[in-house]
Amino acid sequence: MFEHILIPTDGSKLSEKAVRKGIRFAHAMNARVTAFHAIPRFHASDVMMDLLGTSRGDYAKAAQAYANERLRFVQKAARALDVPCDARHATTDDPAGAIIEAAKANGCDLILMASHGRRGLGALLLGSETQKVLTHSTIPVLVYR
Amino acid sequence: MFQRILVPTDGSDLSKKAVRAAIRLAAGTGARLVAFHAIPKFRTFTLDAQMLEDTAGEYRAASAARARTLLAAVAAEARKAGVACDTAHASSDQPWAAIIREAKRKRCDLVLMASHGRRGLQGVLLGSETQKVLTHSTVPVLVYR
Repeated sequence: MFEHILIPTDGSKLSEKAVRKGIRFAHAMNARVTAFHAIPRFHASDVMMDLLGTSRGDYAKAAQAYANERLRFVQKAARALDVPCDARHATTDDPAGAIIEAAKANGCDLILMASHGRRGLGALLLGSETQKVLTHSTIPVLVYR
Repeated sequence: MFQRILVPTDGSDLSKKAVRAAIRLAAGTGARLVAFHAIPKFRTFTLDAQMLEDTAGEYRAASAARARTLLAAVAAEARKAGVACDTAHASSDQPWAAIIREAKRKRCDLVLMASHGRRGLQGVLLGSETQKVLTHSTVPVLVYR
């Protein structure tokens, strides 16, 4: 059925919950996983507290470290169930586009993601990146809430 | 993994593709299927009570017959794949709400549906019923395109 599942994560609680469920699903499907993290490009006007007062270089380093940590979380969860798991990341202004791109580039046949990411509005709406992935992806998308 | 999968169908080609995927997924994971069809409610602008009565009745009978035919075809296809399949239909002006209600009533743990239904604008957007199911469902939703 599904052989290769792309699991994007941004490190939010909901996306880590989706990761754990996604790994279980991959295990049940006998599928392999590619974990993916989209690093937002540096913008001087950003209000993320961690990024204030940092230079482009500091930001790149911090963002890379954060990405590695997120991806390690997925790989650890995958290892626990013996699910083969690669990790990829990309720096982008368009996380949804990067997710679809990564799914295509790695030959994935399913994208599995949370309904909201870091900037989600709880129960009200579908997160904007999830929305964009659903609108533009040509491969099936499994959305966890 | 998933025990009971709800697959709504409106008889469109895309929803048939979703039905086939649901059967494959259920067969692969030992899940049961619930095939569901939402019948749009009859509407008319006429003031002739007699005509209203008759045509509404005819409409009800015809659409219920169509629902049964549609769902019987899904059940037969599921049976061929060795998948247990319940069927249900309901009249509703809000197919998305009927889908979520049925998923709850049958304790489904996944909704698998097409990105567009009969009235979809292929490739442009996510269909409006799929969109609303995604927004309001508390169980995971797997979207097929």
